[in-house]
Amino acid sequence: MAVLGGIGVVTFRQPIRSVLSLVLVMLALSVLFLLLSAQFVFAVQIIVYAGAVMVLFLFVIALLGPARELGRGRLRFQTWLSALFVLVLLGLMWAMLQGVQYRQPDKADMSFFGTVQSIGVGLFTTYLYPFELTSILLLVAAIGAIYLSRKRIDDL
Amino acid sequence: MTLDIGGSQLDTSWFLLLSAILFVLGAVGVLVRRNPLVILISIELMLNAANLTLVTFSRQLQNLEGQLFALMSMTVAAAEAVVGLAILVDIFRTRDAEDIDELSELRG
Repeated sequence: MAVLGGIGVVTFRQPIRSVLSLVLVMLALSVLFLLLSAQFVFAVQIIVYAGAVMVLFLFVIALLGPARELGRGRLRFQTWLSALFVLVLLGLMWAMLQGVQYRQPDKADMSFFGTVQSIGVGLFTTYLYPFELTSILLLVAAIGAIYLSRKRIDDL
Repeated sequence: MTLDIGGSQLDTSWFLLLSAILFVLGAVGVLVRRNPLVILISIELMLNAANLTLVTFSRQLQNLEGQLFALMSMTVAAAEAVVGLAILVDIFRTRDAEDIDELSELRG
């Protein structure tokens, strides 16, 4: 399911179909997160990713109009080069997966694992500093987006 | 290495393999596609694949830090999408660029 969606992302010519198949990928991945007992990440994936970020993409597509992709044009060799590169990358990843050595798992309480409570405790005690840093990151991103999308004075 | 999920055994490496395939698909999208919007979408796909790996290892090692880091990377992905789309809208406002190669010169 997720792989089908991923292929759709890359192969559809119209951007709106790519976005919709990316939504498919995200929903499939969220089910996998639930399977891996990550309830909170599952909820965030659906609400933030499949909800907010994808709606943002759809808005921009609606704003820009349906821009169909033209033919391959002058960079045809780039396609073949990238196919070669990607095959090498996949092979390397496969080789790495073969050699993964798992250490002994920590003995976590699996009835407690991945709940909102355990995530919150981790986020606000051990990882308080990175958590606060992400708030600054989001602030900077919001200010940057407003700056970039404002109406220029000389445009008026 | 197997995981005990809901009473049935599942191999961890399937999740990792799926993540690798999704990441590679995203890389293909970035390299082959020429619409800047689709390139951003492919980057999102790669970030999602990385998230799947993080959560998988978090479950395998029964360690919550992977899930916390996945949340962090979701934040970063959202910020990246916002700024990237703002830049795109700004570019499209000044000129109609359907091909990212047309934007190779950096003149205002």
